[in-house]
Amino acid sequence: MPPQFELLTNWAQTSVEGFMLYLLAAIAIPCAFLVLFDRVIIRSGFFLIGVFGAICGLFLILQAQFLALAQLMIYAVGITLVVVIALMLTNPRLEQERMVAGQKERLGGLFVAALFFLVIYCALRSESWPISSLRMDPENVKLIGIALTTTYALPFEFASVLLLAALMGAILLAKAEPKENLSDISEGN
Amino acid sequence: MSDQVTNQVTKTSGKSSLPASIAYALVAIAISTAFASGHLAIWLQNFGLGNYATYLEILVFLVIVVLAALATAMPGANRLTIISIAAFTGFFALTYNQEMLIKYLSLAALLFSIGMYGMIVSRNAVRVLMSIELMLNAVNLNLVAFARYVDPVHVRGQVFAIFILTVAAAEAAVGLAIVLAIYRNTTTVDMEKFNLLKW
Repeated sequence: MPPQFELLTNWAQTSVEGFMLYLLAAIAIPCAFLVLFDRVIIRSGFFLIGVFGAICGLFLILQAQFLALAQLMIYAVGITLVVVIALMLTNPRLEQERMVAGQKERLGGLFVAALFFLVIYCALRSESWPISSLRMDPENVKLIGIALTTTYALPFEFASVLLLAALMGAILLAKAEPKENLSDISEGN
Repeated sequence: MSDQVTNQVTKTSGKSSLPASIAYALVAIAISTAFASGHLAIWLQNFGLGNYATYLEILVFLVIVVLAALATAMPGANRLTIISIAAFTGFFALTYNQEMLIKYLSLAALLFSIGMYGMIVSRNAVRVLMSIELMLNAVNLNLVAFARYVDPVHVRGQVFAIFILTVAAAEAAVGLAIVLAIYRNTTTVDMEKFNLLKW
């Protein structure tokens, strides 16, 4: 008994969420490829904003308002800014050099990435997900705040300590050696 | 001077490849639209191949991938456009008939794979860090999708996504600081010249 198929006559029946998902995916996927393959590396740093903005839109249609705004502030502004500054501080001549690894590495990378995607996709399809029919609480920001200050209070504190340690370590790593710096300044003056 | 010449060469080859890219885009979009509207399944049924129509999405995906491989093999084809269109239409075909959660998870898996590929093949260390940011974002998307569809009452997924955001910020700061420190010592950010720790 072959399964019966119906024509989709009314395109308006498709959900707005699905439409928005595909629209944002159509923004995110080419931007992600441009991040990897654009010849001018500083431009690929700006295409990163496109990917992060599209993911921010996905968070919004998933009703995660707080995370969407945090995504915009931390990723699309903060991390991209740091990446672009690092690009400006490092060698601009590299743009004209070969940007991608050799044929062997490219084939290996393609094989690994494609295999990874297929494995994950098959795993997703073979699982029956416990999808809840409940609606999202419109005040989920309040729920996150309560969870962060009660159940997850200790990890929250550890996260702040981790951030402090990471920022101090980053400053220590990135700052120039003091002696050379001082001599440079005195010579410059 | 030689840079200008190579730039002109790449620009002209990009222009001449436009018909191939547009043809591939039209074919891929036509196939996926016919698949989504159900015409393709009925067409298969009319040929007496209705039993195979349950695997139609995989068939459509394979056709799109093979066509993309053929189109990129054409001389002077714009690979970036073709690969982007192939990735999007393949994603569309694989997820169109699925539930919303699987669509989000597949998109996250696709972005994660793109980031993984970039991490392997990029030679600029900063680009490798960008790929890692892409992968972390894909994981965040997974967690938020779980929070929406599996656990909408306690939204634990969003709480974990906040922790991943924190760790990603710390990782970006430390990673870029390390790249700057290495650049100061070796005056390069080429991954293949980072052999300081080699025996």
